[in-house]
Amino acid sequence: MSLAQRLPYQNGNAPARRMEDASDDEEEALVNNYKEQVRFDDELSEVELPMPVGQAQLGEDIQSRITAAATPLEYQATLETRFASYDNYCSLFHFILNSDGPVDLDVPSYYWAWDVIDEFIYQFNSFCSHRNRVARKGDNAEEIQILRDNPNTWGCYSVLNVLYSLIQRSQMNEQLAAIKRGEDPAAVAGDYGSRPLYRMLGYFSIIGLLRVHCLLGDFSLALKTLDDIELNKKAMFARVMAAHFTTYYYVGFSYMMMRRYADAIRMFSHILIYVSRTKNFQKNAQYDSITKKNDQMYALIAICVALCPTRLDDTIHAALREKHGDQFARMQRGGPESLPIFEELFRNSCPKFISPTPPDFDNPEINVDPIEHHLTIFMEDVRNNMWSSTLKSYLKLYTTMDLRKLAGFLECEPEKLRTWLLVNKQRSRQVRWSENGLLDGDIVSTSDLDFALQRDLIHISEAKVGRRLVDWYLRNLARTY
Amino acid sequence: MGVPFDYAPDRPEYIENILNGLDRYNPETTTVFQDYVNQQCEERTYDCYANLALLKLYQFNPHLTRDETITNILVKSLTVFPSPDFSLCLHLLPPHILLSPTTSASSPPAGDAPLSEAVQKLSILSNHLSAAQYTAFWQTLDSDDLYADLVADVSGFEELMRVRIAVMVGQAVREVERGVLEGWLSLRGGEFERFVREVCGWEVGVGEGGVGVVRVPLNKENEAKGTVVRENVKFDQFSRMIRRAYEQPA
Repeated sequence: MSLAQRLPYQNGNAPARRMEDASDDEEEALVNNYKEQVRFDDELSEVELPMPVGQAQLGEDIQSRITAAATPLEYQATLETRFASYDNYCSLFHFILNSDGPVDLDVPSYYWAWDVIDEFIYQFNSFCSHRNRVARKGDNAEEIQILRDNPNTWGCYSVLNVLYSLIQRSQMNEQLAAIKRGEDPAAVAGDYGSRPLYRMLGYFSIIGLLRVHCLLGDFSLALKTLDDIELNKKAMFARVMAAHFTTYYYVGFSYMMMRRYADAIRMFSHILIYVSRTKNFQKNAQYDSITKKNDQMYALIAICVALCPTRLDDTIHAALREKHGDQFARMQRGGPESLPIFEELFRNSCPKFISPTPPDFDNPEINVDPIEHHLTIFMEDVRNNMWSSTLKSYLKLYTTMDLRKLAGFLECEPEKLRTWLLVNKQRSRQVRWSENGLLDGDIVSTSDLDFALQRDLIHISEAKVGRRLVDWYLRNLARTY
Repeated sequence: MGVPFDYAPDRPEYIENILNGLDRYNPETTTVFQDYVNQQCEERTYDCYANLALLKLYQFNPHLTRDETITNILVKSLTVFPSPDFSLCLHLLPPHILLSPTTSASSPPAGDAPLSEAVQKLSILSNHLSAAQYTAFWQTLDSDDLYADLVADVSGFEELMRVRIAVMVGQAVREVERGVLEGWLSLRGGEFERFVREVCGWEVGVGEGGVGVVRVPLNKENEAKGTVVRENVKFDQFSRMIRRAYEQPA
C-alpha cells in the first residue's frame, strides 16, 4: 500500500524524510528490544543450565564457526577452502536446527543472521560458477577429479534444505501471515520462532530463497516466496541495508524476466531513490558493498525503460544519464544497433546465474555458461521489440495515417509494418501489480499511445497527462505560512 | 480482470498441496506432475505454475527427464501467448538446449540431441507468435512433420492457437481485409466464415472495391480513444498543511 502511494515524483523531499525519521526511531527501539532479549536469554541460560564440560568445548568450537560463517570467502579461495567452508556451514546449521530444543548463540552483531545467510548463498553461487568454469575449460585435471568425486558438496538440495528448515523451525511464514492479519505473531511462533536469532534466520532465509530461485532461473517461484512479506519500509529486511537492497534487486530482476517491466521499474526506482537519499548516513562497509549492485540496478532500469518507456523520478533520471547516458539513448533509439548494448548491460548486471547440477565433465562443449542461456532467451524478447520506438516516434505525429504511406516513411513493406503494429499493441499490454502477492496483477496499458487498424488506416490516440496542480498548490501554500 | 500467475482455475487439490509444500522438490512427485501435464493436454486446461514445478524437478534431477513431457509443456505454453510462459519454461531447461546444432553435432551428447532440436523448433514458432507473424507461424507449422508429432498430444492445438490469435487481432483491429485474416488464421472459405462468425462473433462483409472485409465490433482495446490522465488527489497529501494550521493559529 505504502509503495503505491510513494510515487516518486509526487513526493517532495520533506515528507519522505519524515517517514525515514519515524522508521529510524522505530528501528532503534527494535534494536534495543532485541538487545534486551538477547541479554535476557543469556542470563537465563547461565542461571538454569550449568554448562557441562563437553558443551563448553562445543561452545568454543561453535563460536569460531559462527564467526567464520559470516566472514566473506577470500576471492581466490581454493577448492579445499570451499569444501571446508561447506562443512563448517553444515555443522553450524545442524547445531542450530537439530539440537534438543532451541540453542542460545552469542552472535557477534545484530546483522549476523543476515550476513550468514548472505555469505552462505554467495559461496554456493560462487562454487557452482567455479565448477561450471572448470568443466568448460577442462584443463585442470586435478580439480576436475575432486569435483567429480564430490558431486553433493554445495548441492542445491542441501542449500534449499537449510533455507527451508530455518523458515520452518522459526514458523516464519505463519508469523508473517499472522502479522498480515493484524494478529500477534508470538501466538504462532512456537519455541524456536519466539527467539530473535531463529526469527531473524528464518526471515532472512525467505530473502535467501528469493535469491536462490532467481539464480536458478525460476523467476515466478522467486516472487512467490515473498508472498507473506509486505514490501514496505516497515518490513524487517528494511532494517538491514544490504538485505533491503538485495530484496529489491532480485524482485525487480524477476519482474523484468517475467516481462513485467512496469513493476520492475517500480522496484528499481524505489530502492535507488532510497539509496540516493540515505547514502549520506550510510558511510560504512555496508554501503560500500552495495555500490556495485547500485550501478547494476541503474543498468537494469535503463533496459526496462528502453523496453517500456516510463517517466522516471528526476534524481534517478539524472543519475542514469550520468552513468549510462550514451547507452541509454542508443537503447531507446532501438534498431539492430541497440542489441549489443542490451546484451552488454544485461551481462554486467544480471545475477551470476548457476546451473544446479554438476556439469558434464566429459563433454566440455555442452557446458554452456547459464548466463548466456538466460541472455539468449531474454534477447529474443528484446529483438521483437526493437522497432517500437521508431514506430512510436512516427505515430505520435498523426491522428490518422495510411499504413502504406507510413511503410514508405519507414522504408519497409506494408505487411511487415502491420506485424510491427500488432507487436506494439501486444507489448503495450502488461500485467501490473496492484495489490496482494507479487505475482498478482491486472492487465493494463503501459503506453501513452494507442491505435487501431481500420483496414489500412491507422487511428492513433494519445493519453495525455493533465496538469499536476496539487504539488504546486501545496508548495505555495507552505510558503505563505 | 487480472489473475495471479500462480493461480489455475482447474487445478486439483492434490496438486495444490504439492505445490505449496516441500513435496514440490520430491523426485517421487515427478510422475504425479507428468500425469497432470497429460491431463492438461487432453482436457485443454492449462497450469503453468505446476508445469514450471515439474521442469524444476527435471532441472534438479536430470536423470528423470522425459523429453515428451518437456515438449508437451512447451507446446501448451504456446497456446497462451503473448504471456511470457514459453520463455519462463525455457529458463528452466538445461543451458545447452539452445546451442545451435552445428556445435552440438561435433560430438553428439548422449540422447540429448532430439530434445534440443525439438526445443529449438518450438522456439521458432514462439518467435513467430511474439513477432505477430501469424502467417509465418502456420507455414512453419506445416513445413515439417516433426511439428505435427510435437503438437499431436495437445488436443485442439490449432483451434486454441486460432482463438489466441483472434484475441490479439481483435485488440488491434476494427476492420481487416479478409485475405489478411485468412492468412493469420490459416482458414479459408466456409470454415473461415464459420470461425469468424461463431467463435469470434465478428462480421464478414464486402468493403469498397468488392474486397472481402471482416469487421470487429468496437471493444475497449480497439477503440483507441484519447484520454487525459487526471491527477489523483489524496487527502493525505494535505495532512501536513492541516496540521500546521492547528499548530500555528493565525
